[in-house]
Amino acid sequence: MGMLLLALFCASNLVHSQDSATVLGDDVTFDADFGFGDDLFAEPGTTDETDSSTSGFVARWLDHFTVRLSQQVSGQINNHGVDLGSFGSFPRQSELETNRFGINLRYQNPFAPGWLLQGSAQYRVYWNEDYEYRANGDSIETEGRVNELFIQRSFATQSFKFGRQTVVWGETVGNSVLDVINHVEFRDFSIIDIEDARLNQWMLVWDYFGSDNSSRLSTFLNLYPEFNPAPVRGSPLFFDPGYNLPDYDRNEKVLLEAGTQYQLSFEGSDISFMAAYLFENQLRYEPPLPGMQDANPDINDFLLLGFSANRAIGRLLLNFDLAFSHNVLADSFNFPGTTSLAAPVNLRKDQIGTSFGFEYGIDNEQNISLGIQAQTLLDANEGLAPGQMLANDGVFGSWLVRYSNNLSNGDLVLSSTLQGDLDANSLLALVGVDYTMDDNWSVSAQLMGIAGSSDSPLIVFDEDVRLSATLSYSF
Amino acid sequence: MSAARKLIPLLFLLGASTGVSQEMTGREIMERVEDFQLATSDSAFNRMQLSTCRFGISDNRITCAERPRVKALESVSKNYGDEGKDTKGITIVLEPAAERGIGMLSYSYDDAERDNETWLYLSALGRIKRIASGNSDDDSEPASVFGSEFSTEDTDTGKLEEYEITLLEETTEAGRAVWKIEMIPNEERARKSRYSRTVSYIDQERWVPLKVEMYDQYGTEIKRLLASRVEEINDVWMARSLTMMNLVSNRLSNMAILEIHLGVDVEDEFLTTRTLTDVAFREAELQELRSQVD
Repeated sequence: MGMLLLALFCASNLVHSQDSATVLGDDVTFDADFGFGDDLFAEPGTTDETDSSTSGFVARWLDHFTVRLSQQVSGQINNHGVDLGSFGSFPRQSELETNRFGINLRYQNPFAPGWLLQGSAQYRVYWNEDYEYRANGDSIETEGRVNELFIQRSFATQSFKFGRQTVVWGETVGNSVLDVINHVEFRDFSIIDIEDARLNQWMLVWDYFGSDNSSRLSTFLNLYPEFNPAPVRGSPLFFDPGYNLPDYDRNEKVLLEAGTQYQLSFEGSDISFMAAYLFENQLRYEPPLPGMQDANPDINDFLLLGFSANRAIGRLLLNFDLAFSHNVLADSFNFPGTTSLAAPVNLRKDQIGTSFGFEYGIDNEQNISLGIQAQTLLDANEGLAPGQMLANDGVFGSWLVRYSNNLSNGDLVLSSTLQGDLDANSLLALVGVDYTMDDNWSVSAQLMGIAGSSDSPLIVFDEDVRLSATLSYSF
Repeated sequence: MSAARKLIPLLFLLGASTGVSQEMTGREIMERVEDFQLATSDSAFNRMQLSTCRFGISDNRITCAERPRVKALESVSKNYGDEGKDTKGITIVLEPAAERGIGMLSYSYDDAERDNETWLYLSALGRIKRIASGNSDDDSEPASVFGSEFSTEDTDTGKLEEYEITLLEETTEAGRAVWKIEMIPNEERARKSRYSRTVSYIDQERWVPLKVEMYDQYGTEIKRLLASRVEEINDVWMARSLTMMNLVSNRLSNMAILEIHLGVDVEDEFLTTRTLTDVAFREAELQELRSQVD
């Protein structure tokens, strides 16, 4: 709370400007050499380009690192009760949920003409009262992960990238029916945007560019498809089903995903056609056999055909995505660990979906966007037993509104996000403040509220209010 | 906003050692300045540093009263179109660390019927993002250039027909003989402009604005631009250090052109969206540009 108040205080001071202008004399001067003495543009690693020693070589390579240190604190601040109807009710107390220190590393080194080595990694330390700390028996927990790590070779009209990376399809930013290639992890409410939730996978990506780079054929081969991780025990999103949710056992099977996208750019518009063979990111769990503790995860492969387009008209950018999925599991849930007890098993169907929306530049500082995603299963009732229903019946989907306002030449950013489902059974509202104090330090704060009806899985978070703050240092 | 296009014309003002007729009007002088700017923004490759700070004044010297915010940029641009008035440019942020790697590609069209095009690449997006920006030359409020005190209005000297231009006098500025020229926007331009009047001091020999005073609707000077380190590079006179002072907020931004190359052979394929995402391609092309000038 203190950090939020500090941020708002600094913001209010920033936006306030003096009423009268300073009167300058006619002969005031400014240092003509200002900025010319800095070594900001020293070629990375050229602290001494002639240094052929091992230390010089290492120094040149280390210069390409970017480091961000952060401390995040967040918690649920509203004491209330959660009413689950026939399942009873339980109290929700205000409590600290996250208290963690993070190190994010990013590395980008074009080490030779036409070559690039890029990677990123993160390391977390979970302090007292963080849910990871509590889940670890009230002791400090740590976690590290390599995110991106790939090497790129680019020449003439072609580019090859091999390693851990993401492939993002779709124009409707943050809410596209085509953004299904990389798996995601929404571990807790500190991550609600898909841009932050995507996880990298081992892929080979080949891009072929048209003669004037106005077209591109991009093909990927996912060498090790991965699946959405189960919620971490202790996380606000974790629900104990009474049994374990293990990873999928490949049992030495080789799984591959592949896809291709052809993109064309025109003046004011871009269009893409895509096709892919994929595995659904969400594992489907069957309850364990009697006497067993582990659920049985299963995977499902499907074919995806897609089309996307955008059109810029003045300050307005229109977006449109269309997806046809062949052979998806009809009763798949986005909430891992749950199965629809009323739905038939192993029922595969075709699904068509669209996402569309717009982005509008209100002025040079303010931007608003809206994205709507809607999907429906084709021949939904085919194969159902009398009285049975699908978990996703009719048209289902979500909507997303984002607004941002850049103040003080971009040092202060106010933002808000609203998202919900098309059935109006749930709503998530978030307001955020990001303040850049100087070239290294920044602070951010967010306030989020959730509403969920009894028809939504978010009922368990109904009336939750979360407050978070993050202090970051980058160099 | 076409940052590359907006930044470069202000900096690359062609010097001319030819004599000037005493009969030139203010409009003729500014038209010639604009012609020189356009000619020298073509096929340009530069690195610049934008520093912003709160300032103070001591003994008539302006200094930063705090540690400045520094942004390092690298940009390449090229003119297109029948009259060379359309510009394509790409700008990459090198510093600060939190913004390192952000890339922006912009296509700016002189034709008012064509919307400018801008693309942004942020690693968090995972893809290139087209930005709806409209035609910022005509129908938008001026935008801050990369968060500095420079605005798109400050760096764009086009649309002279929208101004009443008067040669006030010949005087001296920083020891140089200059024309003192007043520009007042017409009614249509005034609606979009923050300045009711600007006074420019143009070096008579080098055609470089050494000082520009900008006034609000009440006649109060609200911004001042100072140019220094005027140097001849590749037979072109240019100010390599520009300082914009906001007299209301008491903040200044200094634009230092640390490296500049004109007349380089920029491949059309470089000024495309591929350059934003294909870092290996981008760096290889930039090395090729650097090799042209070495």
